[in-house]
Amino acid sequence: MKKLLLIILVTCSLPAFGQLERKLANENQPVDLIFHAPRHINLLTVEPLDPKSMHFAIMHTFGSVNGGIQNLFGLDNGANIQFSFEFALSNKLSLAASRSSRDKIYNLFGRYHLLQQTQNESMPFSLSLAGGAGVNTSAYDFLPEGSPSFSERSSFFGQIMIGRRFSPKFSAQLSPMMAYFVDPRAVYQIQGDQNLYLALGLSGKLKVTDRSSLTLQYIPNLNSDLRSNYGIGWDVEAGGHVFQMYFVTSQGLNEQYLLAGGNGVPGEEFRLGFNVNRIFALGQKKQKW
Amino acid sequence: MKYLLIIFLVLSFNSVFAQAYQTKTGKAIFLSKAPLNEFTGVSEQLQGLIDLEKNMVDFYLDLNTLKTGIGLRDRHMRDNYLETEKYPFAEFTGKLTSIPELKSGQTQAVAVNGRFKIHGVERDMEITGQLQRMTNGDLSLKANFDILLGDYEIPLPKLVFYELAEKQEVSIEAFLKPKKQ
Repeated sequence: MKKLLLIILVTCSLPAFGQLERKLANENQPVDLIFHAPRHINLLTVEPLDPKSMHFAIMHTFGSVNGGIQNLFGLDNGANIQFSFEFALSNKLSLAASRSSRDKIYNLFGRYHLLQQTQNESMPFSLSLAGGAGVNTSAYDFLPEGSPSFSERSSFFGQIMIGRRFSPKFSAQLSPMMAYFVDPRAVYQIQGDQNLYLALGLSGKLKVTDRSSLTLQYIPNLNSDLRSNYGIGWDVEAGGHVFQMYFVTSQGLNEQYLLAGGNGVPGEEFRLGFNVNRIFALGQKKQKW
Repeated sequence: MKYLLIIFLVLSFNSVFAQAYQTKTGKAIFLSKAPLNEFTGVSEQLQGLIDLEKNMVDFYLDLNTLKTGIGLRDRHMRDNYLETEKYPFAEFTGKLTSIPELKSGQTQAVAVNGRFKIHGVERDMEITGQLQRMTNGDLSLKANFDILLGDYEIPLPKLVFYELAEKQEVSIEAFLKPKKQ
């Protein structure tokens, strides 16, 4: 009897006296900001966009710094610039168009986010896919054999991105990549002469302050004798923009040229580069209350 | 002993009809008015309890549910400012300064003294609001209060002072239904 009384006491009175139990709305809350932006030095990341938002990136690399002060450490020559617009159709899928000045390449590509890392580790990593096609629109009328056809100017890429935030300070991403050139001519500004290029992208982010990180990149080529890509940089979040400044061995900015374009000798032929990332929310109504 | 049980059962049955009201879909809004940028964050998952009998007001919000309309801004808010992984909730627990006697359709100004907690920092706060007895017996609560980010150790870097205000104006609106035991 006493036990019964006790049970009734506990079950009836305790919840009535207590506060509401604190519960998360979503137990599987995704991890925020594995990387600062959908770009990380040269590579695409697992960082998703929200539906109807657009990511605009201006990416820039200059000449190699070993020219010294005479060429203002490469700023005088050989800038490659890429404008990239990525539009998110849903939480998972985004479509993008980019144009890089080197060989006047237009690229169309998509990113699809298959898995997202969660805070409770029910999903330990994020996995995204990207793929696209590009066309070289440089004028080649001067060639004796004539200008290459549209298909001879085409190139393709595909990659898988596996990213994980290991701690609030450190994130890394593994990106197996491939690029395919229909006709890799010597006149194109690439060093390779193969059709198919395979590589493994490695990206690292080490948060130094709340809003800035040291960034690292290494992209060893798997099936060519071309030198591998090394990069080191600094990401800064500044009120809606993400600025990325880096030294990198490659001048290519789109995925195909990253793999086939060739790289300078690390340490000697680093180039200064920077990306400016901005995300716009489109079609948002101003909330009123 | 049996009598005691009966008395207790009667008492606990009473609590079924007690004056406790609850919501899971309250609305919470903050407004940040910085020189160059004005924006709001909204959640419609404010959880609240008002117990007029025991005089307890208890509200909490999962800060992950706040949306400002720009996803990247939400992520920066969660990651850099509110640190929701460590401190997922904003909480307020307090007591009404006086228990209102509300007739159907009547509205009354109320004040609640309590503790507000966000970003792991807890402070005393008095919140005033309007409590209304709806014609169907439910309660409606509206309240406004300000939060200074500095009071809760949420740093505001110089670089973004023009985009984010130190003073956040918070409004809540909730319809509370009688709580089922």
